[in-house]
Amino acid sequence: MNILEFSHIEKIYGAKENQVRALCDINLRIKEGEFAAIVGTSGSGKSTLLNLAGGLDKPTKGKILVKGKEIDSLTRKELTIFRRRNIGFVFQNYSLMPVLNVYDNVALPVTFDRGRHVNHKYIEELLRELGIWEKRKKYPGELSGGQQQRVAIARALANKPAILLADEPTGNLDSATTVEVIGLLKESCRRYSQTILMVTHNEAIAQTCDRIIHIEDGRVARPRTAKDPVKDPARDPAGSNGTRHAFPGKGGDCVC
Amino acid sequence: MLKLAYQYMRYYKSQTVAIFFSIMLTAALMSGIGSLMYSSRKNDVENSRTLYGDWHYWIKTEQDADSKETDGTAVETDAAAGFHLEQSAKAKIMGELSEPYQIQFLSVDESYRGMLCREIIEGREPEAADEIAADNYTLSNLGFEGSIGDTLELGGERYVLTGIVKSKWNSGADEMEIFVGEGFALEDLPAEEPGSQKIYLKFNEDEKLYEQLEAFRQKYHIPGDVVEANDGLTMYLGGEKPDSIYEIIKFALTDERGNFTYIILKLQSEYNLAFNGMIVLLGVFSLFIIYSVFNISVSKRKAEYAVLETLGIGGGIIGGTLVLELWMLFLAGYPLGCLLGNGVLRMCYQRLAGVFGNKVIGGGKTAVSITDRIAVQEGAEQGRKVLESFGLSGFHVSWGVMFTGFILLFLGLAAAGFLTVRAVQRHTLRETMGGDVSFFKGRRKIYSRRGVNLANAVVQKFMFSNKRRAAGIILSLSVGGCIFLCTTYMVENLKIHAEMSLKSDDGLGSEYRISIQSDCLADTIPESAVNEMEKIPGLAQMHASKYTLGELSIEKERLSWKEYFDEANKDSYFAEHYGGICVDKGNAAYGIKYGVYGYDTKMIDDLEDFLLEGEIREEDLEKGNKVIAVANMDGQGNYDFYGIHPGDMVTVRVPKELSCPPEVLKFDSKASDYVEKEYEVAALVSRPLAKEDNFLCVNGWEGSNIQSLIMTNRQMEENYGITDYSIVNASPEYGADTRAVSGRMLKAVKDVPKAVFRDYAAAIEAQKNYLRQQQLFFYGIAVILLVISLFHIMNSMNYSILARRREYGIIRAMGITDRGFYRMILRTGILYGILADVFICVIYQFVLFGLMEYYLQHVVQFLHLTAEVPAGVLVLIMVMNVAVSAAAVIIPARKIAAGEIVREIGG
Repeated sequence: MNILEFSHIEKIYGAKENQVRALCDINLRIKEGEFAAIVGTSGSGKSTLLNLAGGLDKPTKGKILVKGKEIDSLTRKELTIFRRRNIGFVFQNYSLMPVLNVYDNVALPVTFDRGRHVNHKYIEELLRELGIWEKRKKYPGELSGGQQQRVAIARALANKPAILLADEPTGNLDSATTVEVIGLLKESCRRYSQTILMVTHNEAIAQTCDRIIHIEDGRVARPRTAKDPVKDPARDPAGSNGTRHAFPGKGGDCVC
Repeated sequence: MLKLAYQYMRYYKSQTVAIFFSIMLTAALMSGIGSLMYSSRKNDVENSRTLYGDWHYWIKTEQDADSKETDGTAVETDAAAGFHLEQSAKAKIMGELSEPYQIQFLSVDESYRGMLCREIIEGREPEAADEIAADNYTLSNLGFEGSIGDTLELGGERYVLTGIVKSKWNSGADEMEIFVGEGFALEDLPAEEPGSQKIYLKFNEDEKLYEQLEAFRQKYHIPGDVVEANDGLTMYLGGEKPDSIYEIIKFALTDERGNFTYIILKLQSEYNLAFNGMIVLLGVFSLFIIYSVFNISVSKRKAEYAVLETLGIGGGIIGGTLVLELWMLFLAGYPLGCLLGNGVLRMCYQRLAGVFGNKVIGGGKTAVSITDRIAVQEGAEQGRKVLESFGLSGFHVSWGVMFTGFILLFLGLAAAGFLTVRAVQRHTLRETMGGDVSFFKGRRKIYSRRGVNLANAVVQKFMFSNKRRAAGIILSLSVGGCIFLCTTYMVENLKIHAEMSLKSDDGLGSEYRISIQSDCLADTIPESAVNEMEKIPGLAQMHASKYTLGELSIEKERLSWKEYFDEANKDSYFAEHYGGICVDKGNAAYGIKYGVYGYDTKMIDDLEDFLLEGEIREEDLEKGNKVIAVANMDGQGNYDFYGIHPGDMVTVRVPKELSCPPEVLKFDSKASDYVEKEYEVAALVSRPLAKEDNFLCVNGWEGSNIQSLIMTNRQMEENYGITDYSIVNASPEYGADTRAVSGRMLKAVKDVPKAVFRDYAAAIEAQKNYLRQQQLFFYGIAVILLVISLFHIMNSMNYSILARRREYGIIRAMGITDRGFYRMILRTGILYGILADVFICVIYQFVLFGLMEYYLQHVVQFLHLTAEVPAGVLVLIMVMNVAVSAAAVIIPARKIAAGEIVREIGG
């Protein structure tokens, strides 16, 4: 069953001579429980696609169905409520609230929906699972990048969303942490039957996903599975052949 | 550097506009008020010339002294000696009359008329021995109803009136003057001081007057005690050498009589503290606003400055860029602001001319001491015209204030620029580039586990994470409210003070007053005349008061007012008539001259407003034969009645007969000439309601201390057998034919010797008008300050919300609805408003109220601060604070809500 459907999506930024076509005639279907990676070069439109999927932005043309609901037809308020109940976000820059400690950052989206009736047991479980329970009273500014991203993931999972949208969640992390974070996302996907749509420009990370969606110049290039070999050596600096999952770290380091 | 500053200004347009407007508005406020105060002062000087004469000093000399130095014709400018004499005039006293009034016969030169504003307005100068000229006031009181060319009998001789002289307007106008020619026969009239003359001097006002006088005295060998200053004029021009600030402070700190109030009052009298202090306060307020707006602007780009520093650009250059940016805006905004402020105030100057004028009601002074004379002596209609002309001599731009403001702000802005750089440099570059890290300092509570609304927690954290900024916002939110509350408190008390001053100065603030112009107690208004007046139709109220002179006996150790009375004793009038005001009786007691008044029921009741201690009930006074005492007020607004309180006894002696010989008034005649009685003091009051002006309230001693004991009219009759009255106050009914009413009153006292009728209608109207102007002005200024601080609040709030754009974006991305978001932001605003309200209440109640009370009581010396800020005004300010804060946060919140979440969070 498709949980996410894009049909004939077009997104144009700016006007007149400053017009930029970010997405063009995107048609895409994501199945429930799928862990899909969106890859592409900088400015190819990956993040735009993700934002449209999460209702953070509106398409210029086309229809987006999330769990069978056309999100463009929802009012602002309906969309906000729909988003917080069904979609979790993980951003590259973590986007944590600097004024709240780890625990409260995770509980924040829950309180919007359920007020004071927060499932503290579940949050504790999440934090323990992600290995940041000991850091629950720390502020984001006191944590490392990896720890902050774990908090962001915990926050995204706090409402048990059906869909998790992750925009380059490992973009700021070293290779060891990258492995951990991707592992966590996969585990979450399995445990809670979540659908994950992850933007990355790292082909090797994409290889670990069920499906890779290539975006080039605002269009879906060609549907591929993770079993397809990587042909572009520039996008596979570790020289992997698709049978091994290699995660290049910063500065060209490679960890297997 | 200049280019960089210019580029920053262009890039941060809204901040540039905010700084520019704050500079312009504050410059407008400062220069406008400065010019208004300066104009009022200039006008006061010009009006004082009209009232007191265009001269600075007079010297009394002997007419027949054959010395050129004292002749008056020989005095001339001597730059080498250190003075520039611009004009001099001479008046010879040709004789004096004591009946029917005290009248002087003067022969004057040409320049006298111009300098003393005593021009011949009709007819010509008297020349022959039997020719005279006089003003309308003198002529009407002498009962002269003829015209020029008619004869008038004086001292048994007949004189031809050749001219009408412009009335004398100063406070000594009770002395009647008749002008005669050189040929006037001196020996025909008895004279107390025949042969003396006065030389009036006017020096160059651009130089220090007291230094010129000193040089003049040295050159002509004139002793100091024969020189008198024209205080009404020289008080504005510096007629005496001021004490140095060092000396003033030293005295206050080292002398037991010195205190803070002494410093304030001394600085006010010597250095015009009110004017200079207001300019400095406005300058500080301006700097605060500009710095605050600028600081907000700069905090938006602190990270950029840190980047510049990382690139190797030093703090000096960054500071220079900031200062240049400020100066560029200042150079453009300041002149425009001055133009705006002066332009607006020039337009409405006519309406505000009386705000800072000397004609306003002043503490401890007689409210109508100047204006009433004009009205009285020129007639109500003409007096009104004269009063209306006051303050209209033009609006003067105060270049001095503008220059001072320019220098103050110019240097202040430079300091602001460098302070900002220092603030940036206080953190490491990494911290500055990374943004605010102050949240870590908070307690590590898990709010969600405590059932706390996280949105509220976020709001509170945003508000208070940077305590300095939070305090700044609350402070600026409170400034306007505090100023408004203080203004309201002052204006409310000003109204009461004005009303009470009028009551206490001329008796119930009534339009008509009949008194006896005589220093003989036997001259009174007969009871029958008062009874007749009561029947005059059109009179709304009439109050008649009795008077006699008494002597209060005070034990020597009780008298802490010795210095004051020593000064009074030096007055030759008191020495001559009463043997001094406070006399050593040799029996361990002093005898102090006191006016003993008898009031009617209404006046006794009205004394309640002036009550300091005790209880005022007419029946109690009569039943226990008690008296009400008027306490003395010191120069700092403190009241004291020699340590005597209600319930204590006082001993008073009064002459047994009103028709006693003048010697009896010295209170050293035989005991049988007096009635001595002991009275219980029922109450102490701050002022009497009606007061005489022939015995103790003379020669400038009619100020705040009017030694008076008050009882009822019946007590006066029972104790001393006094049935006739000395003062009658009356007011016409609303809409009554005032001309007819005053005519009937005049008719009623026509045959009463030495009775003088005065119409205060114009003076009271003028005072009320000045009061309205003052209220309007003070509220106007408070509103302008409120608008400036509102502008500042909007800017601060706008910044504090927009600075959290990203965080609010994250919250929105997390799923907060627009309504929830607005509610959260609104909570911020309301919380700021409530905190500001609490701050205002605390600061007003515990600091400002005390300061205002101190200022109004001791410096301005308001009578009885009974008025509070009306609850409505307080509530209005509280509600307005919350509303303004809410509005101030909603505007940027709408901006954020309208933006796309993705952009806000930079995702």
